[in-house]
Amino acid sequence: MRLQYVLGEAFHNMGRNALVVLGAVLAVFISLFLTFSTLLFGEIVRVNTVKWSEDVRVEAYVSDELDGPGVQTLQETIDGWEDVAEVRFVSKSQALEIARDQFEDDPTVLELIEENPAIIPASFRIQPSDLKDYDGIVSRLEGTRGVDSVASAGAAVDRITALRDGLRVFSWVLAVALGVAAVALIANTIHMAVYARREEIEIMKLVGASNWFVRTPFLLEGMLEGFLGALLAVVLAVGVYRLGETQLDGLPDFIDLTIGSNFLVKAAVLVMVFGVAVGAVGSAISLAVHRYIRT
Amino acid sequence: MIRLQNVTKVYDGATVAVKDVGLDIQKGEFVFLVGPSGSGKSTLIRLMMREDRPTNGDIWIAGKHASAMPSWKVPHLRRSIGTVFQDFKLLPNKTVFENVAFALEATGKPRHSIRAQVPQVLKLVGLSEKSDRNPRQLSGGEQQRVSIARAFVNRPLILLADEPTGNLDPATSVGIMRILDRINRTGTTVVMATHDHAIVDAMRRRVVQLDRGRVVRDQSRGVYEDRTRERPAVRRRQMEAPPQALEGQESFPEEPEAGEGSG
Repeated sequence: MRLQYVLGEAFHNMGRNALVVLGAVLAVFISLFLTFSTLLFGEIVRVNTVKWSEDVRVEAYVSDELDGPGVQTLQETIDGWEDVAEVRFVSKSQALEIARDQFEDDPTVLELIEENPAIIPASFRIQPSDLKDYDGIVSRLEGTRGVDSVASAGAAVDRITALRDGLRVFSWVLAVALGVAAVALIANTIHMAVYARREEIEIMKLVGASNWFVRTPFLLEGMLEGFLGALLAVVLAVGVYRLGETQLDGLPDFIDLTIGSNFLVKAAVLVMVFGVAVGAVGSAISLAVHRYIRT
Repeated sequence: MIRLQNVTKVYDGATVAVKDVGLDIQKGEFVFLVGPSGSGKSTLIRLMMREDRPTNGDIWIAGKHASAMPSWKVPHLRRSIGTVFQDFKLLPNKTVFENVAFALEATGKPRHSIRAQVPQVLKLVGLSEKSDRNPRQLSGGEQQRVSIARAFVNRPLILLADEPTGNLDPATSVGIMRILDRINRTGTTVVMATHDHAIVDAMRRRVVQLDRGRVVRDQSRGVYEDRTRERPAVRRRQMEAPPQALEGQESFPEEPEAGEGSG
């Protein structure tokens, strides 16, 4: 069987039902765009949470009433805990310097700080020995005299991870539902293509064309539709990502939007393969049930 | 070449189209299947081309046990059978040449042999001049000749024709029969279902007469109507009774079991 023949037939069919084909391609596109975006978003969150949890820190804000020796004793106490790797004291003036740096682009906040330097408290910055286990340190600190309040980046990381997991489940459910719709729509286009060519199929069967000769153009048409949808999804998702990367330049520097090109290529290939598979399944279903094709 | 043994075909579990038919057709024979609509002619053709499987009995086509064949083997069997129908089954968007070539393309023949074989067979059916025409531009007789060319282009062992002259006037039919006869003389076995009396009577070939799914006559060099035999009483009464008398008749014998479509 000539490839030229098969491809020619497939393209010819797609031209005949352009609108229906467009619908199927768009369904594949939307489904796979969501899938691909979910993969990309998941990767960004993963990269960032790993980065954040590397410098997870518990900050204990020290009461103003605590004097020099009091601070000294407290630091030694915390340092003595088994689950603490490192503890560092940030004095009020150091904290003020950090705040000035951090908000140098924000005159309102800067003004507020300059007028009320007392609102910036001194603190202990504590690095837990186990990055995932900071709960014990936090609760012990909360019960310690001289500590006003405790903040931990870990809790924020946990919330973002939970958010990511929720979003991930949601988008996968959506992507699967749309994927099923895409399969059904592709099956429909193939169904229509078979119906439009039922006379030719009848004659092919009369003269003894093999089943594969009859079926391959339709199978290929479905796969081509799936491929086009997937291609569109990858191109658009990568485009949006690149745009976001440049446009969101002003993002705080603890958020890193960089995705390894390795991951990008792998995800794109996965999505394309998936698109072709969706097309193949759709047309196979259609060919299996169609009475003009079945023998 | 074709052998049917105790073949019965029941449609939808109720309509008996063919009942206990035995038939043996040798290589190179020309056989007419005759009988009224619904007598089972078309069903027999469909069974011989393995479009249908018999409910009971066995069918051998070109040495192959067609009735027991899995469906994936059918395409190969079809390549040794040419088929011609009353409605031509030509593709309107292809030329005469392309319609005939289609049979070779669909079975994967190389392009050079298509270019050689199609003009040959178009010459055989007398359409060399019209190979670039569209089927719509041809008369019914010419269209049927295209369909015969397509059926014969890969030199099948068997040619099955179901009412090939059913849509044609008598003069055109004679032309079609000449071509079928020519094909038969090349050694191809021809089986033709028809209810064209004139053709059958003129050709004087083997005649297999069917009535309600049964073979009621098998005669070499026969004619359409066998005057030496008494036709079944039921049929005579049916034909002779005036239409108005039929309506109120309580005890009217049952209709032939096979419907129009399967005959």
